[in-house]
Amino acid sequence: MATAALRSQVAAKWHEGFNRLNRSEPGISGLLSFSQAWNIATDYLHPRDISDPTSVKQHDLASVKAAFDLINRSRRLPVMLETFLDDICNQYHLIVRDIEQYLAEYEQSLDTSVMLRLIFRLVEWYRAWAPIEELGPTIRAAYTLTFQTQLFSTVPPGFVRGFKALCASTLVPVAQHTPQMWEAFEVLGLTDRYEGIIASVGYERIEDHVRETCTGKLCHGCSPMYAKGAANTEEARGLLQNVGSRFDFHMNKTLCDLRTSEIFDIIIDFPDSNGALQDLKECLQRVDQRASLVQALRKAYVFLVLPFLNFPPRDYRISNRKRLLHPGADTKLILSQYVATIKCLRIVDPPGVLLFKVADPIRRYLRERPDTIRSIVANLVGDDDSGDSLVDENEPIQPLQQLETEDYNDPHWDPEPIDAGPDFRTNKPSDVISTLVSIYDSKDLFVKELQVLLAQRLLAITDDNFEKVEKERRNIEILKIRFGEAALQVCEVMLKDMTDSKRIDGHVQSQKASIVHPTIISRHFWPSLESSDIVMPGQFQALQTEYAKEFSTFKPDKKLRWLPHLGTVHLELQLEDRTIETDVPPLEAAFIELFSEKSESTLVPHIWTMDELIEGVGAVDRIAALKALITWIDLGVLKEDEENTFRLLEVKEEAAPPSRIAPAAIDAPTVTAAQQQQADQMRLYWKFIEGMLTNLGSLPLDRIQTMLRFAPGYDQTVEQLAGFMEAARREGLVVGRDGMWKLNR
Amino acid sequence: MKVTVKHWHAVAQWRWDTGASESEGNDENEDVCGICRVPYEGCCPSCKMPGDDCPLIWGECTHVFHMHCLLKWIGTPASKQQCPMDRRTWVTAERKVGNS
Repeated sequence: MATAALRSQVAAKWHEGFNRLNRSEPGISGLLSFSQAWNIATDYLHPRDISDPTSVKQHDLASVKAAFDLINRSRRLPVMLETFLDDICNQYHLIVRDIEQYLAEYEQSLDTSVMLRLIFRLVEWYRAWAPIEELGPTIRAAYTLTFQTQLFSTVPPGFVRGFKALCASTLVPVAQHTPQMWEAFEVLGLTDRYEGIIASVGYERIEDHVRETCTGKLCHGCSPMYAKGAANTEEARGLLQNVGSRFDFHMNKTLCDLRTSEIFDIIIDFPDSNGALQDLKECLQRVDQRASLVQALRKAYVFLVLPFLNFPPRDYRISNRKRLLHPGADTKLILSQYVATIKCLRIVDPPGVLLFKVADPIRRYLRERPDTIRSIVANLVGDDDSGDSLVDENEPIQPLQQLETEDYNDPHWDPEPIDAGPDFRTNKPSDVISTLVSIYDSKDLFVKELQVLLAQRLLAITDDNFEKVEKERRNIEILKIRFGEAALQVCEVMLKDMTDSKRIDGHVQSQKASIVHPTIISRHFWPSLESSDIVMPGQFQALQTEYAKEFSTFKPDKKLRWLPHLGTVHLELQLEDRTIETDVPPLEAAFIELFSEKSESTLVPHIWTMDELIEGVGAVDRIAALKALITWIDLGVLKEDEENTFRLLEVKEEAAPPSRIAPAAIDAPTVTAAQQQQADQMRLYWKFIEGMLTNLGSLPLDRIQTMLRFAPGYDQTVEQLAGFMEAARREGLVVGRDGMWKLNR
Repeated sequence: MKVTVKHWHAVAQWRWDTGASESEGNDENEDVCGICRVPYEGCCPSCKMPGDDCPLIWGECTHVFHMHCLLKWIGTPASKQQCPMDRRTWVTAERKVGNS
């Protein structure tokens, strides 16, 4: 119920309002002029359909201004604005109609110029509806906000696509209207709203560019292009603030991704891919992609390391598939890859964290391959068919480096990099050989293998080729620096034997010329050479005895013991119709000697059976004998008439059938490999173990190890012993239960 | 057929002629120096090169040692100039040259 107070208050308010509108004019003339002004103003502001020419009215700007002035004086401007904004909302369907029309057209033609027209059309709308400047920035801002809000809330999703395409089209230099377009974007507030899209257009462009220009071009890096890019971004930074640095980052990231995906090729092409590595290094400093690089590298190595796992190749980068290493990748190949990886990652990441992470699985795998040591050593002594040495010749030769504990007194000490794992060990920038040797726990294995290899190579040298010995000597001198003098003492003795042999031979020849030129070796200092019981027949025996006698005259307190299965013989066979001159191993020579003896003693065909032949040279295993005979068959000197019966072909037989057996037995290594030696050695210690277990019942492994240490020359590790015991168990010699070993009986 | 050997690159080991018969010289139980327990064809602990640089020494008592090992032993007062194997006074034997 209206009280008197309320009534008087309403009356006061009404008066106040009336006075404001009437502006103290006489009567209601003020009120009338106000309503007129209101009408002019609203009519002026009313959002019109610009595509309908009839709706466009000419306004007398002076009267409009006066009207606004009046409204403003009456402080009705906010109400006016509200009405205006409501009008905009109500009229917005006009714009929406336009937008839809244009978009439909765009979607059909996919022509970005349609989009451009749409944008300009929108600007047109915006301009047409905008209130005059005189109303001040507040009203304009309110108008802009409402307009944009309406615009954004009504644009269909298709607009964004079109917008992006439009932006992208501007990157082609021929695009016209570009400045106007960006202006229009600004007017419509699109720049802010679709910043992400505009940026993504930039990103995509960058990615494309990087891919286009950098893919496959590993040899020269992309940094020059970068420098250019940086210059541009400097300028851009002034205008666009941090957009430039974001592009810069993105460029780095893209290049980094690209190089990471190419890492396999980069490594293979090293050192030609140095530029690419520099790229990677630069990028990695700015972008945190180290983890993904490690991933990529490890993946790349899956091919090398796990050749038998049947991964679907499409999971991996094409570049990897291109080089897909067939099952059973060569150890040498893996090694050279490993070395290349070392070199590459040293460039990319000097502290070695990446290397450590990548190398670990490779090292573990290499350790399991039986021929790793052999490959490394072969490479060390330059016994490499490919001639592609793992070791960089420019690298200074230095002693093997042991892993050092960190030296905290070092003034140049740096903390471990942040992504180093707990078991990361700082690798001092050590040389490649140290890294390779450190795959294994001890260098002894290398030294042993080195001896074996050296022995093989030295024995293959015939005395008229003495430079080779000198070459080996140089090699050993270099290796001495690495492995230490003491470790290679044995090699030293071997080399001395070579020189001594030459000297002795020189002396013996001067006393009594002989066609035998032996290499006289010191046993115990050469790797165990397979013993052989061949007895050289006929003239060979005579030659040996004669030479040995001459030797004993020269060195009265020494005598010679022949190793008849080693060496080579240069023979000349005079057959009825032809003469054959050839270099053969001694066993072959022995056999043909037997044939020649028989041809002297009997006139009937020179036929030997396999068994007779074997008996004729003492004892030799059948495979070796067969191989020797096949050599002669291949030379057309012998013929196998029926199985295991061989006939000498005094007269050449045409169309000699190909040898019946492809050389089944591959060259048995004349020098026992280190592994074999180790097994032999263990066989010796088996006696000890057997005795131990007989006396003490069952023993744990470490107890056996402790006791074996008392045995002279025992140098096996517990692991090796464990392996041996395991082998013994397989042979049924011992049983192992709960870590205790006892004899199986 | 006639086989002519033009050139033979053979391989041989040298052994000390200790007078032991050839058949005994198997790899398994070869003779070792009674002092350093290293085979005769090896070298004594103080040497690096075997052979002429580390020769053997024969005693009248038929015992054979690395010369360096024995001389070192003889040099110690405890040796009383005796052969370490049989405690007879050490007398170096004259080697018969070219006995084979």
